[in-house]
Amino acid sequence: MLDPLPQESWSRRHANHLLLRAGFGGTPEEQEALFQLGVEQGVEAAVDFLLETTEDWSGLPWPEWALSEEDPNGFTFGNQGLRRRQFNHWYFKNLKEGQPLASKLLKFFVDHFAIDSAPIGQYYRFIGLFRYMEMLRKHAAGNVAGTDQPFEGDERLVGSGHYGNFRTMVKHVSWSIAMIRTLDLYVSTSRSINENFGRELLELFTLGIGNAYTNEDDEYTEEDVGAAAEAFTGRKIWNFRYDTGVNQAESRGLHPAATYQNVNLQDRSPKEFYGNTKMSDGSDIVDGDDIIELAFQSNRCAKHLSWKMWRYFASPEPSKELVAALASRLRDTHDYEIRPFLKDLFLSEEFYDETVINSQIKDAGDFITCLETQLGAALPTQDAMEDIMQQLGYEILFPPSIAGWPEPDGEGNTWLATGSMVFRMNMPSIWSHRNFDIFTTARTRNSMAEYADIDWEQIAPSNLRAIESFPLLLDTLTARFLPNRSLRKSQVRSLLDRYTTVTEQLGSIEGVKELVRLLLALPEYQIQ
Amino acid sequence: MNLKLNRRDFVAKSVWGATASLSLPGFLQQTLFNLDARAQSLPSPGGEGPIFLLMEMAGGNDTLNTLVPHSNSTYNEERPDIRLTEANGILKITDKDSPSAAGGIEPLAFHPNLSSFNNLWKDGDLGIINGVGYPNANLSHFTSFDYWHSAEPNSIVKDGWIGRYLDNQCDGCGATTGIFINRRPTFAFKSSKGVSPTVTFSNPQYFNWSDRASLGREKSLERFYRNLIGLDHQVDDGISQEDDTLAYVQRAAHSAMISTESVQTAMAEGGELLYGGWPSDGLANSLKVIAQLIKGRSETSIYYARQGGYDTHNNQVAAGDPLTGRHATLLNTLDNSLDAFVQEMKAQGNWDRVVILTFSEFGRKVIQNGSLGTDHGAAESLFVMGGKVAGNQFYGLYPDLAEDKRVKRHSMDFNVDFRTVYRSILEEWMGVPASAMPEIFPAQPVNFDPLNIITA
Repeated sequence: MLDPLPQESWSRRHANHLLLRAGFGGTPEEQEALFQLGVEQGVEAAVDFLLETTEDWSGLPWPEWALSEEDPNGFTFGNQGLRRRQFNHWYFKNLKEGQPLASKLLKFFVDHFAIDSAPIGQYYRFIGLFRYMEMLRKHAAGNVAGTDQPFEGDERLVGSGHYGNFRTMVKHVSWSIAMIRTLDLYVSTSRSINENFGRELLELFTLGIGNAYTNEDDEYTEEDVGAAAEAFTGRKIWNFRYDTGVNQAESRGLHPAATYQNVNLQDRSPKEFYGNTKMSDGSDIVDGDDIIELAFQSNRCAKHLSWKMWRYFASPEPSKELVAALASRLRDTHDYEIRPFLKDLFLSEEFYDETVINSQIKDAGDFITCLETQLGAALPTQDAMEDIMQQLGYEILFPPSIAGWPEPDGEGNTWLATGSMVFRMNMPSIWSHRNFDIFTTARTRNSMAEYADIDWEQIAPSNLRAIESFPLLLDTLTARFLPNRSLRKSQVRSLLDRYTTVTEQLGSIEGVKELVRLLLALPEYQIQ
Repeated sequence: MNLKLNRRDFVAKSVWGATASLSLPGFLQQTLFNLDARAQSLPSPGGEGPIFLLMEMAGGNDTLNTLVPHSNSTYNEERPDIRLTEANGILKITDKDSPSAAGGIEPLAFHPNLSSFNNLWKDGDLGIINGVGYPNANLSHFTSFDYWHSAEPNSIVKDGWIGRYLDNQCDGCGATTGIFINRRPTFAFKSSKGVSPTVTFSNPQYFNWSDRASLGREKSLERFYRNLIGLDHQVDDGISQEDDTLAYVQRAAHSAMISTESVQTAMAEGGELLYGGWPSDGLANSLKVIAQLIKGRSETSIYYARQGGYDTHNNQVAAGDPLTGRHATLLNTLDNSLDAFVQEMKAQGNWDRVVILTFSEFGRKVIQNGSLGTDHGAAESLFVMGGKVAGNQFYGLYPDLAEDKRVKRHSMDFNVDFRTVYRSILEEWMGVPASAMPEIFPAQPVNFDPLNIITA
């Protein structure tokens, strides 16, 4: 299993598939360029190099106040709504302009390690959220540049490891203000334990539950949840509001809004966890990092994370044999380094199987980013992005549950609520016809007044717009918007009818816009 | 209640059925031909027939502080900081005591913020089912919700119980037989046959195809979309035979197309609501949409609303004041919103058509944790409300808290399987024959006798 796809099997169809799954699709020119690279170099390009943008996200700076370790607004915490919109917008700007695989991974992490704005609380909300996102973003970028970056922010509490490693990332997450607040770690002490984080660490971040990906590996027990909860005690946040008068924080070496271990509030007793009574070096199982280490040593964790990544990047129902092969690569070959693992995944014959191509329904992040990429469209305004994501059910600061968003998993898919489906079909008219009535508030509609129009000449050159050239025009548009798809005859006929009518009445540019709008409303467009 | 209807009449009269016959979408069309064969227990046509509203309280409601066992020594000892007492103004249920699993009785009281629940109880319109759960309680939010939604605990879930009910009982009925006011669907609606006519949307104002900005003359894109997705096509029904993923999205598009029309028609007919005191929070807004659809004679028989936030690991109550805090706020919202809904139903003359069932994925532990909150537990109490509900009665036994503390890691043990509650509602209220139960509930609990929740 997981043999590399031979070069002689490599096709344009495969290249398009890789572009959509390791990123957010590409223009016809990018599709052709990736195909010409061949499978090995193509995958290498998708994983390690820059396609059309830079992996250097410094071009997307944080707002100044977000980097400050002090409460940016004095003690007023003003205009949370504006900051929320800035944050949301910044996230989608990353998806659009980051190195494609890094953006794709960032989106994966935002779901896998979902945090909720409400329990983070207004004091810690934005400093916690931005630091958290910065940490996820570094892990998503991994070692693209080939060098380890020093840890910063709250991650400084973690010892060895580097960005782009799943185990290290779980440790970083466990020390982040955002997660410590989201899952109540800050109130869990040896004297009064709150098991929220301990449980979700095992269920969501590491071992997982159920037998979708393994029949051989035991599930963890309620006792294991208890041990994990005990180990993660005394993790505290140094409130920047304490920092008045005597500067205790400085004397204790803590910067404002730092996280730290209060040893006095930690349960230091030896524990048993998931069949282990000692660490592999013979020492006792004591604190949270020990629990994470042991979880990552297990088969179940390797399988759970491999399964989840396969579902995210490839297809909804991998066989248990495939999961086992992937898990062996993830843990034994790559020691939980994500990009080398993904390189194996993207090279594998299994990834290019016909049952994998076109088997995914785009999640909301895929849907909009793909659409922008193909249209060459600018990111809509902050207000518009918030409005769109509310209607699509993908508000990154308000996950539907702490398990994140429903998985994009084909049949039974829960992205497509009827209301979201209606919105997805209506939404392309924002770009094709500047239909801003689709937004729910006047402020949002007004904010789009200056929004740049699409370059229609790029998408549908004038010389293809004659009604007699319709087949060629349609080919050009489907190559851009629906690669790896062919339309049914009845659809082609309907589109031609409509193109003819609109072109005759209003001119060919209106005909093109109408055609694009209808193509983007097709059920086929929801799939990648 | 057992409705007998001519299915063909029903289909032809329903909103979308106006354009029916040959142009029906394939996924519904196939079912038209065996309508008469199964004309037993149809969901309601517009304006009559039973309505069932599922009220999901997501996060794991602490029913111990919702329905307070105020004189129970375990409750009082294990919750020194978060318990509710007489001094907090709990609404004692004085006319009856719940039977207890420990033998004897358990005196109970409503949370002080549940005054309308208390009134419904006194009016005989609210029943309480204690000790509800399932074997081998799972303490994961997600797994436990999967079990409640699928009604197949301790197995790999593949579809929802409402989905199976509709698949089984509702071939050929309207496109919006189940409606969930939310942004994401519920697994309870999931159908493995792919025919279950359920709809999920959050804002009816944007649940349409209008396009005022473009092309001047065309006010709605509906006609072109219908055409492109194969809805009006004589030969090509637009549903892929080979590609399951594509077929799924195509059905979703068809369903969206058909249901928008049905919903908009009912919303328009419903118009202004009759009750003036509606609050304006998210839950109330969902219930308002439902109330307007009911008023507009929607064909829908199953409604689903959701209130999140019950995962009260911390600050369930505020320090020193158990009457404030997260749980009190949630219950206040629930009580006000449901009260408005009940008043509206009464004003519409529809209260006798409605049964409401509240549920959560699990209850919470008997003991408080260290953060003025509670951790995940097992069994819970459910409320069932409606004009025809056999209210002012307890069903099930109140759990034995002392015993549960000792042997169940502080989680309450169940004595009523939730599938029995579901069954009771389908059979006693929706008129589903007992013979259909094996298909709707492939996994049945040992004791599966209906509870007689509905007055005869």
